[in-house]
Amino acid sequence: MSFLGESFSTAVALLLALDSEVLATVWTSLWVSLGAILISTVAAVPLGGVIALRGFCGKRLVLTLLNTLMALPTVVVGLLVYGLLSRQGPLGVYGLLFTPWAMMIGQVVLAVPIVVHYTVAAVAGADPRILPTARTLGAGPVRSVLQLLLEVRFGIVAAVVAGFGRVIGEVGVAMMLGGNIRGTTRTMTTAIALETSKGEFAFALALGIVLMAVALLVNLFLNLLQQR
Amino acid sequence: MTPLYELNNIEHRRGNCTVLQIDRLELQSGRLYALTGANGAGKSTLLQLLALLERPTSGELQIDGRALPLQDRHLCRLRRDITLVHQSAFLLSGTVAVNLAFGLKLRGLNRRERERRTLWALQTVGLADFAERRVNQLSGGEVQRVALARALALNPRVLLLDEPTAGLDGDSALAFERLLTSLRDQGLSMIMASHDPALVQRLEADEIHLVGGRILGHPRSFSESNRLTAAGSPLCLNPLKMQER
Repeated sequence: MSFLGESFSTAVALLLALDSEVLATVWTSLWVSLGAILISTVAAVPLGGVIALRGFCGKRLVLTLLNTLMALPTVVVGLLVYGLLSRQGPLGVYGLLFTPWAMMIGQVVLAVPIVVHYTVAAVAGADPRILPTARTLGAGPVRSVLQLLLEVRFGIVAAVVAGFGRVIGEVGVAMMLGGNIRGTTRTMTTAIALETSKGEFAFALALGIVLMAVALLVNLFLNLLQQR
Repeated sequence: MTPLYELNNIEHRRGNCTVLQIDRLELQSGRLYALTGANGAGKSTLLQLLALLERPTSGELQIDGRALPLQDRHLCRLRRDITLVHQSAFLLSGTVAVNLAFGLKLRGLNRRERERRTLWALQTVGLADFAERRVNQLSGGEVQRVALARALALNPRVLLLDEPTAGLDGDSALAFERLLTSLRDQGLSMIMASHDPALVQRLEADEIHLVGGRILGHPRSFSESNRLTAAGSPLCLNPLKMQER
């Protein structure tokens, strides 16, 4: 018990002292994941809107595929993207492997199915009167769809937040594509795994506290949205 | 005089089902028409076509003697002269003013003009103080009146109404009816779908009766309907039954 108590005190002390290594790791995690979710949102929200609003052949198959991709293990995504980015891979010439950009690409692959899935759910559940109302008031097709997205904005924000929750807490992609390089690609999750194995439990715990705080903030935000 | 709408050999299908089949129909501007008929008769579908929200599967629909443009952006421009108030109107989230401003912004009106029209439209429907009210605080009757104000603010050439008084309580229905009477007297072209024969009679609307997606008989002008009633024959909404007599 004293081990846990002492570790916790040391972790809190590290956080309060604004330990530079803790801060660097937190910063890497945040900017990589925020970048990934930004790219995912730009790609996935319109894609989700199109899938929800358009009737096309194979729509059910696409939705099933999306559900499958949502449950894809992070190490499998890491493996596939590793294959693409490694020297022998088709994108090897860009030298992206073991950089934050590689982690970001992997996280985009993880987040897109989630954001698309929840966007499809939000748009499909939208009031069917929104589009005809916008159109009869003079909106063109694009403006009508924008209005629909605006009406279901809380559902879309929830989709984005769920995607962020997935990427900030993943370890497989960050480990395989980033390589856990100190000061460059070390994220909170990979650092927790490494430091624990090295016996630096307090340091890992400090990062765990930050990660839990981020998860708590994300959930608080979601709850706030659901109440609206 | 060129009719406002002219429909020739219109057929509209949903999947394998023909929901509307109209050989010929002319609607003149400045008149109030009532589409009557049972549920599923095709009233709302016809309104959707007249509102240019859907294109007919086949046949010709003309407005002011001109066929519908093929390109969607031209259709969208044409649609700005016609506004449909749905049976169960949907108000955009936010305030009443946001709803009224939506269509006005799309028409490129400046803020001052938008505010002027918003105030006028809300006064017209008797909700002058409602501009800043949030839409989730409105009653069913108020929602319908705001939807009508939103349509009126656009100053449409044609106002289409789908069951305008359905679901309203007595007082709200009466207020709405007075409003429609006033708009009719001002010469606004209106086409409404209604289940209520008494309302059609009171509004002195020309009646178009639909059965199974087809128009039965010819559109009957109000004066014609009135003659039938005055002669002691009860107003018969179904021309088939009328023929049986």
